[in-house]
Amino acid sequence: MSFAGNGSGAVIEYRNVFKAFDLPVLSGVTLSVEKGEMFALFGPSGTGKSVLLKTTIGLITPDRGDVAVGGESVYFGGKEVLERIRRKIGYVFQYAALFDSLTVYENVEIGIPEESLEQMSSKEVAHRAWESSELVNLEPKQVLAMLPSELSGGMKKRVGIARAISGRPEILLWDEPTTGLDPVNTAAIERLITQLSDDLHVTSLLVTHDIEGGLEMCDRVAMLEGGCLRFCGSPDEFRASSDPVVSAFMDREAAHAALDTLEFG
Amino acid sequence: MGRFLAALGRAGTLVAEHAGQLGLLAWHIGVACVRLRVLSRDILRQLYIIGIQSIPIVLIAAALIGVVTSQQGGYQMQSQIPLYVMGSVVVESVILEMGPVLTAIVMIGRVGARITAELGTMKVSEQMDALQSVGRDPVEILAAPRVLAMIISMPLLVSLANLVGITTGMISAQYTLGLGSETFFYGARLFWHSYDMFYSLMKALVFGAAIPLIAVHMGLRTTGGAEGVGRTTTHSVVFMTLTILVLDALFPPLFLN
Repeated sequence: MSFAGNGSGAVIEYRNVFKAFDLPVLSGVTLSVEKGEMFALFGPSGTGKSVLLKTTIGLITPDRGDVAVGGESVYFGGKEVLERIRRKIGYVFQYAALFDSLTVYENVEIGIPEESLEQMSSKEVAHRAWESSELVNLEPKQVLAMLPSELSGGMKKRVGIARAISGRPEILLWDEPTTGLDPVNTAAIERLITQLSDDLHVTSLLVTHDIEGGLEMCDRVAMLEGGCLRFCGSPDEFRASSDPVVSAFMDREAAHAALDTLEFG
Repeated sequence: MGRFLAALGRAGTLVAEHAGQLGLLAWHIGVACVRLRVLSRDILRQLYIIGIQSIPIVLIAAALIGVVTSQQGGYQMQSQIPLYVMGSVVVESVILEMGPVLTAIVMIGRVGARITAELGTMKVSEQMDALQSVGRDPVEILAAPRVLAMIISMPLLVSLANLVGITTGMISAQYTLGLGSETFFYGARLFWHSYDMFYSLMKALVFGAAIPLIAVHMGLRTTGGAEGVGRTTTHSVVFMTLTILVLDALFPPLFLN
C-alpha cells in the first residue's frame, strides 16, 4: 500500500520520519502535502500528529528521516534554509500560545518576519495587524490594545491565527485549532480555516480530532496510528474505508466495538 | 559500592550536562550581543524590572545586615579590643562578604526564581515554540536582555547595599555601643584597602552573570506543565544558591592572596 502523495508539486514532504522520546512516537512516516491543498491529519491522542507537525518547522528534530518544505530540507539545509522555511509557514498552536506580556497588537505584529518588518513603515505594520485581525473576524479597534488574559478562549485562538497569517505565509499548519471550543466556536473556526485558505491561497495542513469537520473541509486526509501512517486518501475514500481502525475512528458505535476487539497504538 | 558509583556517575553526567549547556547558552548570548541582536528596548525593560524594582528589598536587607554586623561585632569585642576596630569590622564585612553575597541571595529569590518560572511557563505553554516558529530566537529576545540587565544591575545594587549597610552599621554602633562616627571611620580607614571595593564589585559582576544564566538555563529546560514549572523553579533556586556559595568560597583564594 502506498501512502505517498500524488507526487506532483509536493510542498511538504515527510521522508521516513522516525522520532522517539522515551517510547517511539513516529515510526517511519512518509507523506506529502501538495501545493494549495487542504490536508487533514487524524489519529488517536498521543500518536504523533503534533510531533509530525512540529518537525515541519524544526521545533522537534526527527531521530531519522527528513522533512522538506518547497523542496528544501528542514534538517540538512542549514540555518538559513530553516529561517527561509519558517518565513513561508504560519503555525497555529493548539492553545494559541500567545505571549502573555504583550498586547494583541504586539502578538500579531511578531508574526511578521523580521526581514519584512525592516522594509515596512510603522503605518504598514499597523495596517497589517489591523487587516490580519479583521481576517479572523476580530474587531481590531476593540481587541488590539488588550492583553491575552482579557480575551475569551475563542478570541485567543483567533489572535493565534491572526499572528500566523500576519506574515502572509504560503503554508498554514494548524495544530488542533478547535480543541476546547464549544460547537458554535468550533464551526466558526472551521469556517475561518476554509475562508483563509481560499482568501490567502495557502496550503493548509490540519491536525484535528474533529473528523467530520476535517472530512468536510479538506481535499485529502491521512490517519496516523501507533506512529505509522494508517490511511492516506480522499475524504470519500476515508468514509468508505473497510479498515476497522479507520471505521472505529469515524463513529462512536464502531469505536466501542473496536475497543473490545482491537488494540490502539 | 556499585550503587554508590552508579549514583556518582549519574551526578557527574548531570553536572557535565548542565555545565555544557550553560557554556553554550553563555556563548549564544555573547554572540547575540556582539552581533547587536539584543534590542535596547528589551534591556531597558529588564533593567527596570530587575534593577529598579529590586532596590527597596536590597536596601532593606542591606540595612539589616549593617545593624546585625555592628551588634554582633560589638558583643564579641566587649572590653577586649578597642571599639574603633568596629568600624573596620563593619565596613570590611559588608564590602567583602555581606553586601555582595546577601544581595545575590535576595536577587536569587526576587529575580532568579522569577526568570525560571517565567521562561518555564513560556516553554510548557508552547510560547517558546511560537517564538521560534516566527523565526525569532528565544535566546536573543528573552535570555540575553535578562542576563545583560542583571550584569549591569548587580554592581550598582551591591554598591548601594554596601553604602546602606555601612551607614546603618555606623548608626547602630553609635546608639548601642556609643561609638561616634568619627571613631567608626577612623577604625574603618585603619584597615581599608581600595582593592576591597574592586573585589566587592567583581563579586557582584560574577554573581550578576551566574544568577540569570542559571535561571534562564533552567527555565529553558522546563518540561511537564505547571508541576514541572514548580519543580524546575525549586531546582533552579537551589542550583543558584549553591553556585553563589561555591563562587563566594573561590573568591578569597583566587583574589585575596
